[in-house]
Amino acid sequence: MSTEAPTQRYRVDPHARFRVMDDEGIFVLQDAGEVLVVNEVGAFIVEQLKAERSLDEMVTAITERYAVDTERAHADATSLLDELLRAGAITQS
Amino acid sequence: MSALTIEFAGCRYRFAGLNPEQADLARSRFEALLCRDDARPDVQVDVHYSPNPAGFMRRPVGPVGYRVAVEHGEDSIAVAGIGFTSRVERAPLRAQMQTCLSDEWFLGAFENLFRVVASYRLFGEGALVLHSAAFTDGTRGFLFCGRSGAGKSTLCGLAAELELGILSDELNAVRYSEGSFELCAMPFAGDFGGAPRPHPPYPLTGLLGLSHSAAPLVHGCSKAEAVSRIVASCPYINADPLLVDELTARAAMLVERVPLRVLSFAKDTRFWSVLDHEYRSPHATLSR
Repeated sequence: MSTEAPTQRYRVDPHARFRVMDDEGIFVLQDAGEVLVVNEVGAFIVEQLKAERSLDEMVTAITERYAVDTERAHADATSLLDELLRAGAITQS
Repeated sequence: MSALTIEFAGCRYRFAGLNPEQADLARSRFEALLCRDDARPDVQVDVHYSPNPAGFMRRPVGPVGYRVAVEHGEDSIAVAGIGFTSRVERAPLRAQMQTCLSDEWFLGAFENLFRVVASYRLFGEGALVLHSAAFTDGTRGFLFCGRSGAGKSTLCGLAAELELGILSDELNAVRYSEGSFELCAMPFAGDFGGAPRPHPPYPLTGLLGLSHSAAPLVHGCSKAEAVSRIVASCPYINADPLLVDELTARAAMLVERVPLRVLSFAKDTRFWSVLDHEYRSPHATLSR
């Protein structure tokens, strides 16, 4: 399961629901009856993937919004995406 | 065949088609909550007994902990557990239960289906049913949500030492009534608790998550964490694709009105002095 391809796009898994609350985000994973919380940056990344942005586009958006360099933004994004893929909250499209 | 009607949290559940052994088992367990059988039920469950165990989940050998299998369909919910299957129709809410059990195992099947049916009924009435522990000091109601291993039964044991009134260490309901939220006991218990008995609703004073620490402490959490803790604690409904959005919206409304906080506690009764202080009403403080 790789998230390294810069043009890779993702989507919220059909069995998951995502909602933003006070900047943070919540995934409800219906199949497992589990809930995941992501922080403000995580919620921003999920909003980017919902807008069908590629990994590269997400990284650019993160650097524009937050005071981080590209390397850090890429590391944070791939780390979160891997975690969400493992949890079944998102899928690669 | 006989029937019995069980009432709690303002809803009546009628179980019909019980054979004498099944009726005796259910009656002995829920005796304190039985109501007149001619009372109009809110939900009817028809029980169909067939002694042939083929086609049912088998009884295990030795101690067992298992989850009931639930599958959500458009019009109905399929439920299966040891020795029974059921179809729960969404609207109007009613259930058909097929079972091969008539001995003490029947009570487990009965309660497992009853949990699902009651959760749907109460959700339909605007309530949330939470996997939780709850107790009262007689005037204030405290609810602690959390899944298995969170410390719910431990906390109930400690609360009992303090002679606080235990509602349930497994499932409790929260509903909105006349401008505030109230806490309703449900007649299901985990490791802690005896036969169900009637409880009045209590004002929901404290809504808490649980964690462990060396010393008792109550701290806040973000709205997202609060909602996630509530949603994660609502069995059956949080896995229902037709209801999960409504559940999340209701959980958000609840934590807007009754902020969820997290109680960190050790296995001793010091937690109560912290809770009692944190949730003392402003009026009571001023009057001192």
